[in-house]
Amino acid sequence: MAGKTEDKKKRKAGSGSTAGPKKKPSAKKAAAKKRTASRKKDFTPNIVVFACNWCSYAGADNAGVNRIQYSPNFRVIRTMCSGRVTPAFVLKAFKLGADGVMVSGCHFGDCHYIFGNYKAVEQFEKTKALVKTLGLDEKRVALEWVSAAEGTRWGEVIDNFVAQVTSLGPSPLNHSKKKRT
Amino acid sequence: MMDAGRHPNIDVLTNAELIRLGGFPGNFRATVKKHPRYVDESLCTGCGLCVEDCPVVVHNEFEVGMGARKAIYSPFAQAVPNTHIIDRENCLNGDFLVCTNCMNACDRNAINYDDPGEELQLDVGAVVVATGFDVYDASAIPSYGYGLYDNVLTNMEFERVLNATGPTHGHIVRPSDRRVPKRIAFVQCVGSRGEGKEAGCEYCSRFCCMNAIKDCLLVKQHEPSIEELIVFYIDMRAAGKGFEEFYQRSREMPELRYVRGRPAKIFEDPASKDLLIAVEDGETGEVGRVRADMVVLSTGAVAAGSNAGLAGVLGIDCDENGFFKVETRYGSPLHTAREGIYICGCAAGVNDISDSVAQGSGAASEAEKYVVKLPAPEEPEEKPIIDSSGPPRVGIFLCHCGINIAGVLDIDSLKAYAEGLPDVVYVENNLFLCADDGQRLIQEKIVEHGLNRVVAAACTPRTHEPIFRESCEQIGLNPYLFEMVNVRDQCSWVHTNVPRIATEKAKDLIKMGVARARILQPLYRQSIPVKQSVLVVGGGVAGMSAALNLDAQGIKVYLIEKKGRLGGKLNNLARVYPANLSAFELSRTMVEMVGSSRVEAMASTEIASITGYIGNFDVSTTNGNFKVGSIVLATGGDIYAPGDEFEYGRYENVITNQELEDILYQSKGTVEIGGDVTGTVAFIQCVGSRDPGKNPACSRFCCPTTIKQAIRLRESGVNVVVLHRDMRTVGARAEEHYRHARELGVRFVRYTPERPPHVAGDGTRARRLEIRELALGRTLEIDVDHVVLAAGMVPNETSTARLQDILKVPRGADGFFMELHSKLGPVETTTEGVFVAGCVSGPKDIADSIAQGAAAAAKAAAIVTHETVPIEPTTCTVQEDLCRACGKCVEICDFHAPAIVEVSPGVHVARINQALCKGCGTCASWCPTGAIVSLHFTDEQINSMMDALLAG
Repeated sequence: MAGKTEDKKKRKAGSGSTAGPKKKPSAKKAAAKKRTASRKKDFTPNIVVFACNWCSYAGADNAGVNRIQYSPNFRVIRTMCSGRVTPAFVLKAFKLGADGVMVSGCHFGDCHYIFGNYKAVEQFEKTKALVKTLGLDEKRVALEWVSAAEGTRWGEVIDNFVAQVTSLGPSPLNHSKKKRT
Repeated sequence: MMDAGRHPNIDVLTNAELIRLGGFPGNFRATVKKHPRYVDESLCTGCGLCVEDCPVVVHNEFEVGMGARKAIYSPFAQAVPNTHIIDRENCLNGDFLVCTNCMNACDRNAINYDDPGEELQLDVGAVVVATGFDVYDASAIPSYGYGLYDNVLTNMEFERVLNATGPTHGHIVRPSDRRVPKRIAFVQCVGSRGEGKEAGCEYCSRFCCMNAIKDCLLVKQHEPSIEELIVFYIDMRAAGKGFEEFYQRSREMPELRYVRGRPAKIFEDPASKDLLIAVEDGETGEVGRVRADMVVLSTGAVAAGSNAGLAGVLGIDCDENGFFKVETRYGSPLHTAREGIYICGCAAGVNDISDSVAQGSGAASEAEKYVVKLPAPEEPEEKPIIDSSGPPRVGIFLCHCGINIAGVLDIDSLKAYAEGLPDVVYVENNLFLCADDGQRLIQEKIVEHGLNRVVAAACTPRTHEPIFRESCEQIGLNPYLFEMVNVRDQCSWVHTNVPRIATEKAKDLIKMGVARARILQPLYRQSIPVKQSVLVVGGGVAGMSAALNLDAQGIKVYLIEKKGRLGGKLNNLARVYPANLSAFELSRTMVEMVGSSRVEAMASTEIASITGYIGNFDVSTTNGNFKVGSIVLATGGDIYAPGDEFEYGRYENVITNQELEDILYQSKGTVEIGGDVTGTVAFIQCVGSRDPGKNPACSRFCCPTTIKQAIRLRESGVNVVVLHRDMRTVGARAEEHYRHARELGVRFVRYTPERPPHVAGDGTRARRLEIRELALGRTLEIDVDHVVLAAGMVPNETSTARLQDILKVPRGADGFFMELHSKLGPVETTTEGVFVAGCVSGPKDIADSIAQGAAAAAKAAAIVTHETVPIEPTTCTVQEDLCRACGKCVEICDFHAPAIVEVSPGVHVARINQALCKGCGTCASWCPTGAIVSLHFTDEQINSMMDALLAG
């Protein structure tokens, strides 16, 4: 609760200063800006990433081999194929307070199991519909393709998704997070 | 090393030397002298207590003298066997001093100062020589000041400096003042491509260019504050799969500057110990002195000093450079003059890692001809079995991986955290868990603490899970009760700059791993029978080499070729370098050998479909159906067909080097091109290669091909000009031929991709070439009679795409098939039982293709020489009481594993064929009733990880 009021205060302070006349670019405004920025900065999202063993998980290893540095704000769960990820897994993650969930598999044509990734697409469409039904922003879920050779791309995909979820703020279902801030 | 050390069919004899070889192929008698180690291998556990007590400190050879070791020591961290050795030259236990510290320290009485060594008599069928190379001694070039100036290092020394386990723990400091250097210069071709004997060897050492580029990237990564990296080079030889792309990526680094020029001399500023490099910039012609804090000399490879002695024992010869001589009669790089003795890696000349690995497998394949098939490794008679049905008792093992993990993550904090996780009864950390002692530690602790679940927080399960699983299995723990947490590749390596956050992440990952481990269930491997035959697709050199090798091992081979005859691209070539063989003769010899063998060769045959799996492929072709146990893909690549580059197609006298090869093939004596026998021929290199828009890769063989053709033309009196970007004459004798071409008067002019040569002409003929000469700074006009475009190689789009479709072998960004591992698995693919050889996985020359063919044969044979192949039990199964036989799984599975069966009258359920199931788990995801269980990746196991992460 304390967090909520603080949030409101910040928002007020922010909007107040922008609406005001331009005579004082002032420390106040700058401080408010800083606060909003720091609030966003303080929020580190809980993100679950399902990565298939053959392409995406290998791509993440490839990022390591190439020492590519990227955001640490996610945790990987390895599955053999992206087709293994049922909508229930994604919903469960949100239920437990995840702020974003990504499913990552092989590019079309690369799937170790021929068409597992096509099936992942079908499952993901269902997942997205369910996520929307829950009132969550569909930007909180993502389906990506990263090959075993695309370590750099893996880093970019993660960075972009983390930034996207961070900009959305905590998930409305993320009760623990609200208590924490 | 670990794998070789623990393989039941491999005896590793270190510190040993071959001193006599008698007998004949198939029945050699080898006498091996095992030098005394003074430590009993069967007793030593590698605990290191003796090292602590040893009073002698000497330079460490492994650290190239930059570190220290004791007189009793382990050669390096992951040495196999992990047994210490006493350096008796420095040991104080001698005639006058009688130090016995190590003997006193050893709990197991493993020390024996009077160890006489041992002489072993071995009966062997064949011998493979893989003795490697020595590093060129840089002090032989006094003008570079190696050995005189503190801050001049060799690339081998610098490798150790960069290495996390090296003398500086991976911190880049210069020797004179331990300061972090701001400007590092790399000098290429030190001891390689020399002019005259004192300047080293005449050949190109091949790997130093890539080594320098890699080091530059690593420096930037370790020391982001580095101000400048300068590489002085002659030609940047990034000739190998993915190498050119890597080189171009390095050029985007603002700190990295490439200067074309070979330094004349290096001076030291005595006060600052900085270095001044006197060099002429080959592109601007400017002569100057460049200051650097540190200089790394890219020293090349020379023949191992022991070669001459070993050659005498083996009864084979060395070449003028001291490398073992290759018998080139069959175009193969693996044969020596003595049958039954094969050669691989740098023993016969300089090779990079992936080619050495391929040659290693290839030499093994050749050797197998003379080896009586060994029985399958014997299973230990009585295996202990650890009961895992009780409450989980989890043991966690944290690997430091040197400082790869421990240098970033806070191991103590992880250890304390792990101890508090549910059902965790034991936590331990170790420097290298994958090493012998690490594995032994896990086994001991399993027994000591009654562990029934094991979690290792280390590198990636993709490479190391099998090793850990095997160790668990050996001690009686079901291997599927082992869980691996990736805190290196996906944590410490990629969040290096935020160690605190990375540690928190590692804690979460361990927590998730433990949650999953607690509910892991034991699974049991089954085995399926194997069809003892092999399909080779493609009848070029690589395919024929694979087929002949397999046949020599007594394996049934089906060789299919799309075209009307065998031979592949060899049929379009005139002569084959380096040995200057007639391509026609080589092709005919190989085709005849195939003809007289038991290989079932089928020309004009295409694949209709392939179904099945490792050990059991059903192949359907336009020429009949058959079953095989493994498959070798050797369908080659295509020569790039130029569009309108350099007016190709507009002027009749602009041709490709493939077309020139046809002309050379038909010419006897003097060369006639369109009636001319004199005049000027200009070659333009890198047509359709090294072009980011079209094909960013270097095709590798075009430079040597041009040299070969230029020599042939020059010898028949033609003027030859070669316009190139870098002359990449890598590979056996290619540099020597390049030199020979220059001596014959072939002229070489460099161009840059920004200002490519311009072809001018009139009517139907090209008349003139305009090229900007960099050092002169002006445009040259060259009158030409013919222009030859050195066209590179592109994947054979139709056949590669089709095979990808049928067999699911992934292709890289370049369109060629992707190997399992670019260095360590050059002929394997991600599809079990399917191997690649030759140009199908990237451009290669003939010798490399032949070596890869042999390597793929060895891998394919390893499957089909067994009666059965084990199948992974991580498949899907149906809980039949939950199944309502809706058929969704049957519909969804692309491998036809599930089927609806009637179990009792009127009762239908789905059942999954375990041999067909690949374990992807997609059916489990789609099953509407949740009846399908994806073993080892069950819903409960995945949910437990999320519970631990988010709710815990």
